[in-house]
Amino acid sequence: MRVDPSYVSNLVGSLDQAQSNEQQLTAELSSGVSVTSLSQNPVTAGENILLLNQIQQDDSFTQSSNLVTGSLQVADSTLGSVLSQLTQAISLATSANNGTMNASDVKAVGNQISGILDEVESLANTSYEGQYIFAGGQTSTSPFTTSNTTSPGITTYNGDQNVNYLSTPNGQKIQLNVPGSQIFQGSGANSVFGALNALVADYSTGAVNTTQAVSDAQSLDTALNYVSQQRVTIDNSITQVTAASDAITSDQTQLTAAQTNLMQADVGEVSTQLSLSETQQTALEDVISQLDSSSNSLFSKLQ
Amino acid sequence: MGTINSAFSLISGALNADQAALSIVANNVANASTPGYAEETPNWQENQPVTINGVQYGAGVTETGATSLRDRVLEQRLDQQQQLASSSGARLTALNSIQALFTPDSGSASSTAGDIGSDITSFFSSFASLEANPTNNSLRENVLSSATTLAGDVSNAAASLNQQSAALDQQASGVTSQVNSLTTSLAQLNQQIQTASPNADAGPLEDQRQEDLSQLSQLIGINQITTENNGISVTTTSGQTLVSENTSFQMTSGTEAGVTHFFVGNTDITSQLASGGGELGGYLTARDQDIPSAMNSLDQLAYNISTKVNTLNNAGTDLEGVTGSVASPLNIFSQPTAVAGSAVSMSVAMTDPNQIAAAAAGAATGDNTNATAMANLAGQTIVNGQTPTDFFSNFASTLGATVSGVQDENTAQNASVTQLQTQNDALSSVNLNDEAGAMSTLQSSYQAASQVFTMLNTIMVSVLNLGVETTVS
Repeated sequence: MRVDPSYVSNLVGSLDQAQSNEQQLTAELSSGVSVTSLSQNPVTAGENILLLNQIQQDDSFTQSSNLVTGSLQVADSTLGSVLSQLTQAISLATSANNGTMNASDVKAVGNQISGILDEVESLANTSYEGQYIFAGGQTSTSPFTTSNTTSPGITTYNGDQNVNYLSTPNGQKIQLNVPGSQIFQGSGANSVFGALNALVADYSTGAVNTTQAVSDAQSLDTALNYVSQQRVTIDNSITQVTAASDAITSDQTQLTAAQTNLMQADVGEVSTQLSLSETQQTALEDVISQLDSSSNSLFSKLQ
Repeated sequence: MGTINSAFSLISGALNADQAALSIVANNVANASTPGYAEETPNWQENQPVTINGVQYGAGVTETGATSLRDRVLEQRLDQQQQLASSSGARLTALNSIQALFTPDSGSASSTAGDIGSDITSFFSSFASLEANPTNNSLRENVLSSATTLAGDVSNAAASLNQQSAALDQQASGVTSQVNSLTTSLAQLNQQIQTASPNADAGPLEDQRQEDLSQLSQLIGINQITTENNGISVTTTSGQTLVSENTSFQMTSGTEAGVTHFFVGNTDITSQLASGGGELGGYLTARDQDIPSAMNSLDQLAYNISTKVNTLNNAGTDLEGVTGSVASPLNIFSQPTAVAGSAVSMSVAMTDPNQIAAAAAGAATGDNTNATAMANLAGQTIVNGQTPTDFFSNFASTLGATVSGVQDENTAQNASVTQLQTQNDALSSVNLNDEAGAMSTLQSSYQAASQVFTMLNTIMVSVLNLGVETTVS
């Protein structure tokens, strides 16, 4: 039987292969990543892109939720202050309406309520990071101005009815603002500014038309309740953002674990393979050197 | 009746034959490492016996030259397999450079650089962040900077693909002159072989011809057809004649539509060569198939993202209250005119972040409806019926699968080449053990023949002296 006399070159080929295998395994060990090129595992590489996309989206939502939580909290606490101002105005009006005050005391109450009106107006014009939060979409202009040229005075809304929503990665929409007119200028008896302006006018002369003043005070009470109701929308949004953010964070943790699992090199397995490959290489080298040193042809025996 | 004289002539013929055989063995040992050399064996021929008075006497031996140990069918099989292996090898090298542009992102910060997948997500996420505060300048800046990163990475990848295509084109056109010199040599060898040895193996000439054929098989896909008088015709795998008898047909190359095309005479054989095999086949497949397919995917991605985002941005109101129009459009990306080429030319046209139209048309600038709409593009099937991320993920998987497929193919073909090579070497390559054995045998037989000659000489002396020992010695 004839044999291939150049079998050593085949052994060298195997040696090259063992070495390139070791290179790949060493690269995996040093980078900690099991898939270093697309061809190594095309399906994993594709899945990895999708997972990273979701993780990044979650990450971005977490940042957005921090931003909107700030502005929603400012809106909430502002409305809290408005409510306490209004409560104070109602108690002032009640005391002025019980008929025990003289004209100058009544005027003083009128002035205090006028002060409260100014305060509520400035609260309604609150801005967060330079944006007016109760102006609908017109966030760059101050939404409320009061004109005292008539009596009662008129507070005008300069914003619009625009409502913004934040979309979560799973498609939920969270309301981000309530237009100022909806909070402070509800229709009929629900208008805070209407009631406050009326009360200021009622007490401005010192002579109180009790029937009118009592009715205006009741209007203010109704408007206060209405503001409370609007505040619930903001509170709901805060709860929703917090809940969504928590859900997203836990989702992100899971996704990150999955992605790490997908791409991370199994150190134990890779080390074992590396050690196997090294053993193979040593064996091959020994075989080749043996063949090389002992003359492998009959000629060495011929004299 | 045999004579002592005839014994002399017979044994001196044996000495000549042994010498000739020894020189053949020596030539084998000398050429043990010569590429293409096929081991030769001496041809021994028994001389015609002489019949005298009805009795046959042997007339010795003649050495009639050497025969190369060769299996033309095996060599042809090896050449064919070599063509396939060279082709997939060249294609694999090209594909490896292509996939290096899309190394998987392991999720760490450093590996994200240049990763188009994460660029796409960052870009659409920047609109999602803008929803939270549509008038915030830093969020707007962020949209433009992530758009710039996306456009930069896409156009870089596309430019690299173009460079690789140009490099392959150059490598491919370099093959032409090598092919031509081999076919010229084959035609000359055909002529020499047909003259010198029309009916039998031509030995060294045949060695050269087989070596040329095997070199040619590394370069292009060929068919070999044996013709009369021991000639060989060579055609491309699809039948275009390159060598016929003693004539070779030169391959020429020329530029058509920006890439090198190959011709024999006036026939364009580029597409035949691409599917034929050999290095050239691999280069051409990568150049005309793999790179254009990757480029097309990038073009689709770039074109659809650019146009869809631009359309939406023009449909909204920017921070200055302006809505885009045909005359003065609010384009974030430079608007591509056609799908082809849009990846290379993808760039950000907008410089002022205030021009991002976060608000719906007619709405106040604090509105975020349009920002939401642009963020939602990430989840819409805007690129060939898939979301941008799904499209890119599929593209990466498909490319990876192609590379991995060619890799497997190449490994299998190389294994088959090795196997055939081993078979062929077992037959044709010089085995030094065999040569040592032959040498040893020939040595013995030469020594024996010399010994016979000496003894015959002694016998002849006895005959001439008629039994008296001293007269002639």
